[in-house]
Amino acid sequence: MRLVSIETRSFRNLEDRPVDTDAERVFLVGENGQGKSNFLDAAYTLCFGASFRSALDGEAARKGQKAWGLGAYVDDGCAVQRSIRVLWEEGAKRILEDGKRVADRKELVARNPAVVFCHEDFTFASGEPERRRFFFDQTASLASADYVDRLRSYRRALRMRNASLREGRVDVVEVLDEQVAEHGLALTKARAGLAARFDPVFAERFESVSRIGTRVGLEYRPSWPVELGIRDIVERLRSKRREELTMATTLSGPHRDRFRFAQEGAGDFSDSASTGQLRLLALTLRVAQAVFASEETGRPPILLLDDVLLELDPEKRRRFMEALPSTPQAFFTFLPGEQWEAYRTASTLVYWTDDGRFARKEG
Amino acid sequence: MKAIEELVGLLSRLPGIGKKSAARIAFHLLRVDGSYAAALAERIEGIQARVRLCSVCGAYAEDDTCEACSDPRRDRSTVCVVEQPQDVLTLEASREWRGLYHVLGGLISPLDGVGPERLRIGTLVARVRNEGVREVVLATNPTVEGDTTALYVKKALEGTGANVSRLATGIPVGGDLEYADRLTIARSFRHRTIL
Repeated sequence: MRLVSIETRSFRNLEDRPVDTDAERVFLVGENGQGKSNFLDAAYTLCFGASFRSALDGEAARKGQKAWGLGAYVDDGCAVQRSIRVLWEEGAKRILEDGKRVADRKELVARNPAVVFCHEDFTFASGEPERRRFFFDQTASLASADYVDRLRSYRRALRMRNASLREGRVDVVEVLDEQVAEHGLALTKARAGLAARFDPVFAERFESVSRIGTRVGLEYRPSWPVELGIRDIVERLRSKRREELTMATTLSGPHRDRFRFAQEGAGDFSDSASTGQLRLLALTLRVAQAVFASEETGRPPILLLDDVLLELDPEKRRRFMEALPSTPQAFFTFLPGEQWEAYRTASTLVYWTDDGRFARKEG
Repeated sequence: MKAIEELVGLLSRLPGIGKKSAARIAFHLLRVDGSYAAALAERIEGIQARVRLCSVCGAYAEDDTCEACSDPRRDRSTVCVVEQPQDVLTLEASREWRGLYHVLGGLISPLDGVGPERLRIGTLVARVRNEGVREVVLATNPTVEGDTTALYVKKALEGTGANVSRLATGIPVGGDLEYADRLTIARSFRHRTIL
């Protein structure tokens, strides 16, 4: 798929005007704070139904505005283009595809896959375990809508169980043990399968860009052993009842899973890696996510790369660009001083970004 | 005009009725036969006084007991457990179930502060014990709350001797696989039946 044009209304600092994006590569060049990342956020919101920059929809409204809107035409290689609109007003968001309301965001994501590369991705390499779970949940969700359903059911059952633990309702906790075990075990098995398939995709690309010389792969360390059954998990939960009632929280389950980047013969790579290597690790995770989603679904995602080359030395930049998967469309942001001309092809659309306005730069 | 505005305001508070639909209904009521408007007003006014909850099962009733509980032809050894009184009307429309009903009055939802003591689970257990019920069919919705409530009720009925079953979930009859959502398909696979 390709976004052939994007139109914004009262969205952050962007000018209310359609922008032609009908190219395999779209470059947005400009100083900081001019709207490059905001434009990527508009593209991401159209594909994902939510921003990658803020959790609150209202924050995307331009100063003094109480509503915002986004629209895009999408080319799937069919005779007729599709339309997507995301509208936020009076505190509520509406997503429309070809004028019809999208009831569940997972349907939008399945039809319009996108992968964003941004500065915050660094936390996937060096941050809290929760950040890695977030990344792999997102990766699995791009590949399977069933995973989204499982994750939602597990989270709901877990929240209900924790609320019952806080209330000391052992009778309710007992039945929720079964719910948490059923949904949690399904999630554990799905994550184990994901890790096994993701590992070679990631390891190969990380080595080709980093040239470390020893394999760095993905290792999944589930809180509950994958081979256990629902009955075994229920027994485990029961055996920790007193402790969990004291702590008023569920102490085991997929919400405590770990993902590790294991370096052959050297343990956890994140513990010994330099800042530059961690940056590269985070970037390669996104590359692998795009390749993985493409292989699993047959729909290559749109790539949205927000100032990512800035963090790499020239040689690693070159290797990183080579490692990027072939996709129907990629958006890049650059500062004016960067060597963006080196990555430009004849069909690349280049826009000079200034105060939310996009001026086409020819030739 | 104040009279119309007031009516539109009241109608738009009804579930599923927005301002535009409310206005359309109000203008329609201005045009229709006066006797129809009067009959409608009378029914609306009297609905809360005429309809109560069945003293046995908790379904909607116009007398002390509902139509199902009063019907001697019903199989009194089987009880179908539902969440809300309106669920009884939905199941009755199928004409498939010939047993009795029991309305829980909600679902266990710790996040909303609804525990099992707020539901009519104790009265269900008493009915099963005292009225010779041999089978209980749980017809709660297939959500996390519905599943949790079903499991809780099943545990509460342990030792009564009654068989406990759950309504099947899956592809709707007359439906098309193409239009079924993924979760429904996944559930259908899990609960597939041998032919």
